[in-house]
Amino acid sequence: MKLRTFPYFLREAFRSLFRNSLISLASIAIITIALLLFGLFFLFIANLQHLGKLAWDQVEIRVFLEQEYHTPQIVGQQLAALPGVKSVKFIPKEEGVVFLEQILGEKNLFSAEENPLPDCYRLSLTEAAEPAEIARRAAALSGVEEVVYGQAFTRFLQLVLRLGLVVGVVLLCLTVLAVLYLVINTIQLTVFARRQEIEIMKLVGATNAFVRWPFLLEGLMLGLGGAVLASVLLTKGYNILLQQLSSYSRFIPLLSGIGINRTLILALTAMGLCFGGLGSLFSVKRYL
Amino acid sequence: MILTKNLTKIYSNGVVALDHISLTIKKGEFAFLVGPSGAGKTTFLNLLIRRELPTSGLLAVNQKNLATLRKSEVPLHRRSIGGVFQDYKLLPQKTVYENISFALEVIETRPKEIKERVFSVLELVCLLNKANVFPSELSGGEQQRVSLARAIVNRPLLLLADEPTGNLDPDTSWGIMDLLKEINKRGTTVVMATHNREIVDQLRKRVIALEHGKLVRDAPKGGYTLET
Repeated sequence: MKLRTFPYFLREAFRSLFRNSLISLASIAIITIALLLFGLFFLFIANLQHLGKLAWDQVEIRVFLEQEYHTPQIVGQQLAALPGVKSVKFIPKEEGVVFLEQILGEKNLFSAEENPLPDCYRLSLTEAAEPAEIARRAAALSGVEEVVYGQAFTRFLQLVLRLGLVVGVVLLCLTVLAVLYLVINTIQLTVFARRQEIEIMKLVGATNAFVRWPFLLEGLMLGLGGAVLASVLLTKGYNILLQQLSSYSRFIPLLSGIGINRTLILALTAMGLCFGGLGSLFSVKRYL
Repeated sequence: MILTKNLTKIYSNGVVALDHISLTIKKGEFAFLVGPSGAGKTTFLNLLIRRELPTSGLLAVNQKNLATLRKSEVPLHRRSIGGVFQDYKLLPQKTVYENISFALEVIETRPKEIKERVFSVLELVCLLNKANVFPSELSGGEQQRVSLARAIVNRPLLLLADEPTGNLDPDTSWGIMDLLKEINKRGTTVVMATHNREIVDQLRKRVIALEHGKLVRDAPKGGYTLET
C-alpha cells in the first residue's frame, strides 16, 4: 500500500461519517453511554479506595514504655525499623498529661513528680502494614510495657479495604468487557449497513488492507467522539458534584483536582480508540 | 483469454451448477452466455471473477489457473476484469464520479490520472453532466451506464456482464449494447450472460448455451436458440 493513499482513507472515513450521519450519531451516542457507565464506576471505585485510604491513615498503634525505662530513643529506633511502620512519634509523659487534661477538662491533674503516665510512641502505618504483627513485635521489645490499638476496627477496615479492592477491580473489568461488547456491536451495525460497499470494493480488486483502513479510521473516530463526549460529561458532572458537596467536604472528602480528571480522560480516550478500532477490524473481517 | 477443461462446480447442497464444461474464449471475442435460469451462467461468471472456486477441472484466465490462485493474488486478478451486474451494484452514498473513481482509487492510481480517466469514460457513456449526481437521481439506463463506466475505467482485459439489460427497456438496452460493442471493438474481451433473445439474435456473436450446468451449444455466430 502506498503512503499517498492515506489521505484517501482519511477522506473516505470523514465522508462516510457525514454521509451516514444518523448511524454515526447513534454510534457515538451509544459509545458515549457505554463509556459513561465505565467512568461512573471508575469514579465510584476510585473514591471508595480514597476514602478507605484516608480511614487507614487514621489507624495508629500506641506503644507505652515501662515507667523506669530511661532510653526511649532506642525503642523508637527499633519501632521505626519494623516493617509496615510509616512514622514514629514520641509522646513524653509530660505531653500525655496535657492531653489527658484536655480530654478531662481539668487542670493540674498531677505534679511532675507524681505523674503516673508512661512515655509513649505513636506509630502510623503504611497501606500494606499488618497491625497485629507490628503490635506483637513491638510488645516483645525490651522496655515496652503495653501496646494498644483498635484491634477490632483495624481488622474490619482491613477486610473492607481488601474486599473493596477485589470487588472494585472485578466490577471495573466487567464494565470494561460490557463497554467492549457494546462498542463492537455498535460498530458492527455501521459496517453491516455498508457490507455492499465492501463487496464492491473486493469485486473491483481492493486488497483486504485497502478495505480495512477507512473502516478502521472511522471506528477510531467514532470511539474518539464517544470518549470526548463522555469525558466532558463526566468531568463537568463530577466537578459540579464536588462543588455541591464542598460544604460537606470535611465529612465526605472526595477525590478532587486535575489528577483524577486526567486519569479518567486518559482511560476513556484509550478505551474509545482501542475499542472503536478493534470493533471495526472485527466487523470488517466478517465481510472480507 | 479464458480456457476451461471439464470445469465442474458442485455446491455443498449437492446442486451441480456446472458439469464438465470445456471451452476457449479468445482475446477480443464477444460471447453471449445463454440458457434458462439455473443453467449455470452466473456460476460461470462468479468462477471467472474468483468469487467461487471450481470443484474440479481447469479454469484459466490470462494463463492463470484460478483454482490454484493464492488469496493474495485474487485482488490483482480482479483488477484485470470489469464487472457489470443486473442490479448495477452502485454505492448509493457516492456520486457518479466517486462510484467510478473508486475502482481506480482501489488500485492506487495517481489522483491526476484518476480525474482524466473518469472524465474520459463519462464522456464515452454520455454522462459528463451527471458527474456529481447520486445514483438514486438517475434512471435505470443511466445507472447501468455508470456501472459500465466503472467496469472499464481501469481498462480491463475482460469484461463480464451479468444480465446488464435485465432491468432496462428495449431502447435503453440497445444503448448499453452499443457501448459494450464499442468497448469490445477497443480490444476488451466481453462475456455477457443474458436472457434477451432479441439482442442475441440481432448481434450474431458467439453464443455459448448452458442447460442444467451442461454446455449444450457453442455457435460462432449463433442465435438465442438453435436454428434449424
